[in-house]
Amino acid sequence: MAITASLSLISGANDLVSDALALVTDASLSKAGTTTALANTTGLARKTTTTTDQYTLLYADEFTADKAHKVYIKNTSTVAAEFFTIHIDDEKLGLMYAGDWCLLPWAATDGVKAAFTVTFAATWATADTAVFDGVTIALGATETTAAMAILVAAAKYPNFTATVGGSVVTFTAKDSNDLSLIEEGAASDDYVITTNGNGTGTVARTVTPSASANDIKITPAQTANTIEFMAFYE
Amino acid sequence: MATTTAAVTLSSDLLSGSLSVTGSSTFMKAGTTADGLNQMRMGRNEIPTGTSFDLLDATASGVDKANKVYIANLSTDNTYYVIVIIDAKVIGRLYGGDWMFLPWNMDDVTHDLEITAYTGTNTIEWVKFHENETLLTQGD
Repeated sequence: MAITASLSLISGANDLVSDALALVTDASLSKAGTTTALANTTGLARKTTTTTDQYTLLYADEFTADKAHKVYIKNTSTVAAEFFTIHIDDEKLGLMYAGDWCLLPWAATDGVKAAFTVTFAATWATADTAVFDGVTIALGATETTAAMAILVAAAKYPNFTATVGGSVVTFTAKDSNDLSLIEEGAASDDYVITTNGNGTGTVARTVTPSASANDIKITPAQTANTIEFMAFYE
Repeated sequence: MATTTAAVTLSSDLLSGSLSVTGSSTFMKAGTTADGLNQMRMGRNEIPTGTSFDLLDATASGVDKANKVYIANLSTDNTYYVIVIIDAKVIGRLYGGDWMFLPWNMDDVTHDLEITAYTGTNTIEWVKFHENETLLTQGD
């Protein structure tokens, strides 16, 4: 497999400078430090904005950090005054006017995803509940703490993944930009437990999150702006 | 009007169908259709490892303009790379043989375009297309 990026920068004689400028180059987009082609692409995507808010095109969390990723972005507008600003996190890179395109290397530096544990103890009885991230676990029968942990970890949470080890469930945020801190202890307002007997679930934060500092974002100067973009990555 | 065009083709057999994406733009001054970018600087540098260098200095007159920058890493060793940085924010790694083309609005005078080489001395080539630059007076 091969990915080729071909560029030509052209200006005629007595135009920008007195001699003609013709800078033509090809690059084979390869994995970091190798001659092996990058093996993945997001495919070409197209997005039309509807506000002048900031939009995230690519989340660094979803890519391996510090590789030879490349990102192509194009402003498809044909109205000369229309532009958007490209940012990496909060850093402005430049202005993309109608028809402009760019090809960037991208470090995709990850953030740190929040994680916490819930340790289940004592007896979990019929109708006991554990509620988190919009998901309710309600027991139909008395369960051991290990069985309770398995039930909790087996559920699908919108914003977290869950793994089980004995009577402990470890939750990890799917997005490092989720900086909310889960309240710790046996009476957490974030991980809400209701028991009829003596069952407990004690929350402990294990990883403090830090936001990704490398997401690729755009801010349109006008509400409607159509952008095409694509990443090649490893 | 100074007319400079930049054209790109991205082609690959990575997918089951052929991939061929093309883009072409004429460098215009910010927000205009009749006035092309009329200034240019270009250079070639050998970048030793271990130090972050200012490749291009941001200037007040260049802020929020439609400047464009091309950088190629001419190193023939694929393990050599440079990290491209704007105002301490890492953009990405440009390995031997890679090139990049980006808009650069400078944002403010601290937003220099910086470069750091790794593995060995990297040779890079660069071109900046811009407007509105005035030369520094002697002694500045």
